[in-house]
Amino acid sequence: MAFKRVPQKFTASVNEVTIGTGDKAIVLGGENVMPLYSFDAPITNRVKIGVEITDSGYDKTVPGIAAFYAGAETIGEIAKRASEMPGGDFVVLTLEGADPNGANKPIDECVAIAKEVADAIDVPLAIQGCKNIEKDAEMFNKLAEALQGKNILLISARTEDYKQIAAGAVMAYGQKISAESAVDINLAKQLNVLISQMGVAADSYVMNVGSAAAGYGFEYVASTLDRVRGAALSQNDAMLQMPIVTPVADDAWAVKESVVSEEDFPEWGPRENRGVQMEVSTAAACLAGGSNAVILRHPASVKTISELIADLT
Amino acid sequence: MGRFIVIGERIHCISPVIKKAMEEKDPEPILKRAKEQLDAGATYLDVNIGPAEKTGVELMKWAVQLLQENFDNVPLCLDTANRKAIEAGISVYNRSKGKPIVNSADAGDRIENIDLAAANDAIAIALCAKAGIPSDNDERMMYCQEMLERGMSLGMEAEDLWFDPLFLVIKGMQDKQMDVLEFIKQLSDMGFNSTGGLSNVSNMTPKHIRPILDSTTVAMAMYNGLTSAIANPCDARLMETIKSADIIKGNSLYADSFLEL
Repeated sequence: MAFKRVPQKFTASVNEVTIGTGDKAIVLGGENVMPLYSFDAPITNRVKIGVEITDSGYDKTVPGIAAFYAGAETIGEIAKRASEMPGGDFVVLTLEGADPNGANKPIDECVAIAKEVADAIDVPLAIQGCKNIEKDAEMFNKLAEALQGKNILLISARTEDYKQIAAGAVMAYGQKISAESAVDINLAKQLNVLISQMGVAADSYVMNVGSAAAGYGFEYVASTLDRVRGAALSQNDAMLQMPIVTPVADDAWAVKESVVSEEDFPEWGPRENRGVQMEVSTAAACLAGGSNAVILRHPASVKTISELIADLT
Repeated sequence: MGRFIVIGERIHCISPVIKKAMEEKDPEPILKRAKEQLDAGATYLDVNIGPAEKTGVELMKWAVQLLQENFDNVPLCLDTANRKAIEAGISVYNRSKGKPIVNSADAGDRIENIDLAAANDAIAIALCAKAGIPSDNDERMMYCQEMLERGMSLGMEAEDLWFDPLFLVIKGMQDKQMDVLEFIKQLSDMGFNSTGGLSNVSNMTPKHIRPILDSTTVAMAMYNGLTSAIANPCDARLMETIKSADIIKGNSLYADSFLEL
């Protein structure tokens, strides 16, 4: 008997969330098939890639990154360069210098940096905080106000600060937010419920259900992604239908493989290659699990993943 | 598995308020009951217009359009002995939120309602009975097979036949309860969808007892694989039980606020 292929498409679909404005705006989500299963039904909005820079610029210790940004001095110039990285769709500014346990840059200074970045680019902008709850909550609301009309994505709102961020950034200033949970599917759903109960519309938030570098507990991330997308599509669970945006670079460039020098581990080869491999393998695994966007740093990773996406959709 | 489907039973012409509203084509009482049930968690709404021999066609069209226009094309279960009225209701029905349900066919006089469902790409509630109450599960299964064959021969998908085991009143037929539950298990083992008039079980019991018997019955029936019930969604205890059973069965993912969803 001939094999009869039955397309596995669902009546439920992932929500569509738009970031940015005008021609370069991007739409995340919208698919009604399993991740990258474009053979079951067309995937209208292909997976997107965010190119990460920080408030202090870029990582000058990685030759490929340093070469890409060479000559760009101001944060605006660096942002412009990031926005032109082949394969990238949006720029992600990580305000790590805001951290009270680090450089502790004042909020006004961070807002000025973000404005310079936003003014320098014509692609959508996402901003990551410094992971300090108090500072982020206040800073996100100031950023949302200063960048009103830019339709930025603020990463991220957690159980501890979602109320202030949702009320300010989304409801007062019309920006988008990401709901973050740490590889806990029940908490991921609960946080979405709480944000939705505040009156935030389904097209105004995405989620980050947690991540880890490949090899560092990624199997938990993989099963979380699988279960989130399974519930969203096969159970039509409206509280898990938000697009998923996964910051990959942060984890991928922080693990031992990406950090130790070639002098200390000559048999491992150049550090840069290892970092790119960690970034690429983690990002590819996230896409297979259902991430609608990944955040990367290295031009070689962005190129590889963008080609993977193009080939699969 | 998908979540348990509650078909809200409260738009029923046995209620004096609804009967009057249907006679006078007064939208307000009907919309009020519909909203209460949807807010409480009903997926489908049953629209029972009674036998409605003379006015059924017009009345069902009016009710279908009224409810779907006001509640985002809410899926409906068309409940009347008047076949023409069901056809008329389906003719104006918007299926964007789910197929219409024909309530109901049986293996006896009402078997042609399966033909009606097949001809209109609708779901049919298929009561596993012919005349009176089946004496045992062998008899129920025989009727189930008769209706299944008829539906399949007319091109229906098996999943569009929602078999009704016929819930029986505890007060009077206490000894039959486990038979009904066992039959639900048999239906589930064969992969069939099922539904039924849950509140039959608590008929004639004191008012404060009904939610307890209905909830316990639905929990036991869901364990055995019941996929839907025609029930009162405004019964908070019943809905809490159904939502909890959906969590335990894995039909819905747990979150602390699951009862509010």
